[in-house]
Amino acid sequence: MTENKKRFIDPHIHVTSRTTDDYQAMREAGIVAIIEPAFWLGQPRTQVGAFQDYFSSLVGWERFRASQFGIRHYCAMGLNSKEANNEPLAEQVMELLPLYVGKENVVAIGEIGYDDQTAAEDKYFRLQLELAKTVQLPVMIHTPHRDKKKGTSRSMDVCEEHGIDPSLVVIDHNNEETVQEVLDRGFWAAFTIYPHTKMGSERMVEIVRSYGPERIIVDSSADWGVSDPLSVPKTAALMEKQGIPDDHIQLVTYQNALTAYGQSGKIKEADWLEADPVDQRELFEGNSVLRGQSPKVGYKSSDIVEN
Amino acid sequence: MDKLAEIAKYLHAMLGRQSKADSIAWLEQQQSGISGDSPSGFYLAFSTASRFFDKAPLYVNRQDAARACELRPGFSPGHWNCLQAARAYLLLLYPHDNPDKWLATLDKLFETADLHEQEALYAALPLVPNPALLKLRAAEGLRTNMTTVFDAVALHNSYPAEYLDEPAWNQLLLKAVFLQRPLYQIQGADHRANPTLAQALIEYAHERWAAGRNITPELWRFVGPFLQEKHVGDIQRVLIEGTPLEREAILLACNMSSLPTARQRLEDYPEIQAKIESGELNWEKVGKQSHSTAL
Repeated sequence: MTENKKRFIDPHIHVTSRTTDDYQAMREAGIVAIIEPAFWLGQPRTQVGAFQDYFSSLVGWERFRASQFGIRHYCAMGLNSKEANNEPLAEQVMELLPLYVGKENVVAIGEIGYDDQTAAEDKYFRLQLELAKTVQLPVMIHTPHRDKKKGTSRSMDVCEEHGIDPSLVVIDHNNEETVQEVLDRGFWAAFTIYPHTKMGSERMVEIVRSYGPERIIVDSSADWGVSDPLSVPKTAALMEKQGIPDDHIQLVTYQNALTAYGQSGKIKEADWLEADPVDQRELFEGNSVLRGQSPKVGYKSSDIVEN
Repeated sequence: MDKLAEIAKYLHAMLGRQSKADSIAWLEQQQSGISGDSPSGFYLAFSTASRFFDKAPLYVNRQDAARACELRPGFSPGHWNCLQAARAYLLLLYPHDNPDKWLATLDKLFETADLHEQEALYAALPLVPNPALLKLRAAEGLRTNMTTVFDAVALHNSYPAEYLDEPAWNQLLLKAVFLQRPLYQIQGADHRANPTLAQALIEYAHERWAAGRNITPELWRFVGPFLQEKHVGDIQRVLIEGTPLEREAILLACNMSSLPTARQRLEDYPEIQAKIESGELNWEKVGKQSHSTAL
């Protein structure tokens, strides 16, 4: 479908919160694969069953829904730092995780780490690092919004303490203040292009210009907030316009994410380059999301709703 | 050897022919890890099977297919992939002497299953040790929005016709029509045709026509035996406005009916009637043709 177009991976996006319009636009923009890390839903859950159903949707329904638009869906499983602060519930979630981490599309433990940097957050972060070691999966780390620099350093300290190789860890939501240390210590440095709170795409161009493309990853983290599921292809377009070499763009918007999470053995290029016949059936034969329509090629608006 | 063990042995042999030695060794190792005391070893084996088996179609020759039918009428592994077969094998290893415990474990497995695990579980329904305990689970599977999961329950699967009660069975047929699934791939469907279903299908046809939409010609297969005088207008409509395939389908339906008006319509088309009587025209053919042109 996109033989002549660039391919992108968005290695951090919460598509459960997005609409089919987004999926169509993402596919049209060249996104072939996405990773959806388990996170909170904007308000805290109060029952373990809510986690179970959410985790099930990440390995079931959402994966199917993405496939309907020609996008391969992978996920990261974990208890997020915010909800780690409800300890009785956190205990139950920890019991649930072994049921999910072995699933076929789970390519990492994540997003885990610190939010307020409390003792409870620290406890469940460490327990999940041990889980990652047991099941030999990479780790996706959420760095805090507040007191970010300290939280980022601390996250890396803890990974090292637990004997996890930095090459297996993606530190996410970096900025100009954190990137140098993350790269120096051998971790992957991901950047989230998210309006107002995280990175802007123009700043991202300058980061790639200054630091080069090695171990740098661009993602959208698009979720239920004001965010943009096209952040990755848009940033790539801006990079191209501003003279970043093509091979550097390809690394930061596609290949580095594939290399980092590919260490799980569960995400590989053949998954989308050589889609099996089952996918063709999923895509085109009277499926439930598209209700018999073909996936839209253009992203255009009309006053006529198709019959 | 009991039936379950024989089926497990069969699946093992089928997988042995086309899987790597490492994968088969892993599968054999799981026997010791799976016990009724704690299901965690079983859960882990079931999910990590995807690291050892891929989704290449299971190679089933004519003899294998016949053997499968001997072991369990309707069992058609020719529509399975290797990963599915490996998961079905693991399912058969799990102890079932305590039905309550077995059901609780299966429930948890279904609830937390990923996309392909759900497909494997539903497709294996006819093989499990306590099939009658999973009637509600099978009906729940039909409520899915994932076509591949729906197909695993509904198509090439002997379980629904054998176990579902009439309301659930009718839902299966109606939803299969709604999702444009190939009805000829539903096992044992003619035996479960019933007047309630026929009525619902006719109403569905009217609704589609009112919206200016097509209906699958396969629908008439389940209306035919229950045609009444009030349906004569519908027959006429398809004969006049329908495509050649739709016309053949409505005449096949008339052939299933004892209603004199329906028999009369059939006789109006002697060429098609002859094709029906010779067996050249049948529902499988209509289904196949309908689904090849829909693509």
